[in-house]
Amino acid sequence: MFGYYLDLAWRSLRRHKILAALMTLAIALGIGASVTMLTVLHNLSGNPLPGRSDVLFHPQVDPRPADLPGAKVEPPDNLTYLDAVNLYRMGVAPRRAVMGGNWLPVRKDVPDSPLAMTTNRATTADFFAMFGVPFVYGSAWSAQDDANHAQLVVLSQALNQKLFGGADSVGKTLVIATKTFRVAGVIGAWNPQPRFYDVDDAYDGGAFAAAEQMYMPFFTWLDLPQDYGYGSMDCWGTDPNAGQHNPKAPQCTWAQFWVELDTPAQVADYRAALEQYSRQQHQLGRFQRAPNVRLRGLLDWLDYKHVIPVTVRMQTWIAFGVLLICMVNTVGLMVAKFLRKSGEIGVRRALGASRRAVFLQCLVEAGVVGAAGGLLGLPMAWLGLWMVRQQPVSFAASAHFDPSMLVAALALALLSALLAGVWPALRASRVAPALQVKSL
Amino acid sequence: MLLLMLEIALTMAVLGNLVFIVYGSIQRSHVSTGVDESRIGLIQSISVIGEPARGTTAGDIAALRNVPGVTHAAFGGPPLWYVERDPVYLDPSRRQKVAQMYEFQGSEDLGRTLGLHVVEGHDLSKDELPVLGKMDMSKDYQYPVLITRALADRLYPDGHALGRLLYDGNATIRVVGILDHLRGEITGRADDDYSIVTEFVVGAQNMGGGFMIRAGDPARLPQILRAAAAALQKADPAHVQNKVYTMAELRQKYFQHDLAAGRMLVAIMLILLVVTALGVSGLASFWVQQRRRQIGMRRALGATRGDILHYFQAENFLIVTGGVALGALFAYVLNLFLMKRFELAHLPAHYLLIGAVALWVLGQLAVLGPALRAAAVPPVVATRSA
Repeated sequence: MFGYYLDLAWRSLRRHKILAALMTLAIALGIGASVTMLTVLHNLSGNPLPGRSDVLFHPQVDPRPADLPGAKVEPPDNLTYLDAVNLYRMGVAPRRAVMGGNWLPVRKDVPDSPLAMTTNRATTADFFAMFGVPFVYGSAWSAQDDANHAQLVVLSQALNQKLFGGADSVGKTLVIATKTFRVAGVIGAWNPQPRFYDVDDAYDGGAFAAAEQMYMPFFTWLDLPQDYGYGSMDCWGTDPNAGQHNPKAPQCTWAQFWVELDTPAQVADYRAALEQYSRQQHQLGRFQRAPNVRLRGLLDWLDYKHVIPVTVRMQTWIAFGVLLICMVNTVGLMVAKFLRKSGEIGVRRALGASRRAVFLQCLVEAGVVGAAGGLLGLPMAWLGLWMVRQQPVSFAASAHFDPSMLVAALALALLSALLAGVWPALRASRVAPALQVKSL
Repeated sequence: MLLLMLEIALTMAVLGNLVFIVYGSIQRSHVSTGVDESRIGLIQSISVIGEPARGTTAGDIAALRNVPGVTHAAFGGPPLWYVERDPVYLDPSRRQKVAQMYEFQGSEDLGRTLGLHVVEGHDLSKDELPVLGKMDMSKDYQYPVLITRALADRLYPDGHALGRLLYDGNATIRVVGILDHLRGEITGRADDDYSIVTEFVVGAQNMGGGFMIRAGDPARLPQILRAAAAALQKADPAHVQNKVYTMAELRQKYFQHDLAAGRMLVAIMLILLVVTALGVSGLASFWVQQRRRQIGMRRALGATRGDILHYFQAENFLIVTGGVALGALFAYVLNLFLMKRFELAHLPAHYLLIGAVALWVLGQLAVLGPALRAAAVPPVVATRSA
């Protein structure tokens, strides 16, 4: 029966080509717009580290003064220098990494070679293993190197290409902020999006900034002769610039900190340790507030930080508004379409077809329109994504088509066409056979 | 018919709000910063700490000023380029923050390089400027500054700002002149225009950051800026030159996200208009076909083609009008939702009027084809059976 209905639907649509084309086009445009935005949204809210995201946690403590006008309940996102060092030394988590970002002048270790400002992430040894960073040459530095303030650097593939022509540069030297560094390793392609470990640095593009060009030991970095900013510096009190030249200012937070906790027991222990630390700092008089700690998992953290740009969220709402309008439009056209063949329906009903049968037949026709609209909507969504990629926005690269969206587009098209078809099909199934047959 | 009205109403609601958003960002992108943008160029020149300094800031500025075509040069950054934003207080205890202000700091001539207009009081003069490195660092030192009219009115509603003291995070500031406009950023907020300008006499230091030039001839700014960047690199080879922008390029970069989002919304608006037009003409042709006999009868009874044409046009006008009326209500509701979720401003009524006119025109265009076909129905169909 279904096959027969499909055949009928096909014939009916072919008879009214223009109306069928209009309906299909309307659905296709709605699907094109909404699937474009849905894909962008889907890619932006994706998991930056699948497989590792559930063992990575972001600890926060609250070192702010008790009376801070306009202060939120949530503790600051980042740590002060002192808390960063203390939590790093607190060996409760199996792996942990403290970090900060800025840019530094870099040149080849050749006299009078040109300098270039280069984005840098200063961190500790576990960063690479914790975040699953792949190495092409060499390896990460060790915890001992961290302790020794070793002048070692890990290069991104792009920087290795620029400085050493892509060759194995392990053991070679370069000059960073006037000091000589030795290359410990070169990493492969690694650019987690969103860049979960530091989502706040608005100057370099926020959550969808590219990963840094090089990595160096955190404590070595703090020793460097430098005044190139410290990423997401945030200070309380009357002077918001207190930390501009002094990362150790006690009222300024800027260091990111991540830990790896493999079991629920470890998570519970770590949370207890954070509270214990806060209590101890409170007793010492350093923390004025009662323990106010957070230990969010990676995905919770991204959720909390609302990393998806507000324009994308707004455009997604609008795109679904467009889809709704397209559906209303389709309802109107389908009513017209189905009522046009009232006579035919009347005959079918007079010959014994039930209302249900007529309803189903009309719905199948709506489904065919939906499937056609979905198929036509796919190239439109592809075009839409191409348009998004042309935009000068930091998330442009994530506007690529992926197979799961292909399925979603077709399903969405079919669903919206069927929904749009329900009421017209109901009306068609209520056609009184006697009246129609009389007017034939 | 109700469905068509509903569709038009929804289109109107979305369209009105989109036009509002897009027009808002276009309008914003044309707001002046208050500086002489067409003549200003920026060179970001970063000093490498620890390298033996080979130049001085005074020497760097002199080298820039000696470039042919440059009329003024200064150390300091322009609007729209990471301007420091600080709280401002009216009492030295700094208990009650009055507002946030943009602080433009730089070498002597910063204001003249930017081309600021002092409308009250006097411009900063060299003899009153603090000398960098030889400053009186006591808490009582009063930095002479220029402040914008908007900030002066916010801080001193009585209108007497000249000579008064105010406080930022760590310094005491004395107002010596009032500027007409100087916007640190262009976000659309009133406090964009809350700015102060501080100048210092620079000497043998070696500072890195933004250097600005002002060209006499705006048409030659790109060439002059390139020459200036080369001269600065020569005067101070230990600096890393990271960015060289004309103010026009800076403005373009500043607004590119807004305008990109605007382009996306325009694309969505076009889709909406096309879909609505499809709906109108699709239903209209259905009605024409449904009423063929009726039309034929009217023609047979003496109606002209024009009568039939106008009949369909009038019907479309009535439907669109109904849709527009309902749509105004929807637009208002949607605006309330957007205001709550995305901090959008209140939708002014004239945007609804624009949406209404657009839909009336669209409706008439879409119905024209079917209505002409209706007008072409010969009277003879009245005599045939369906």
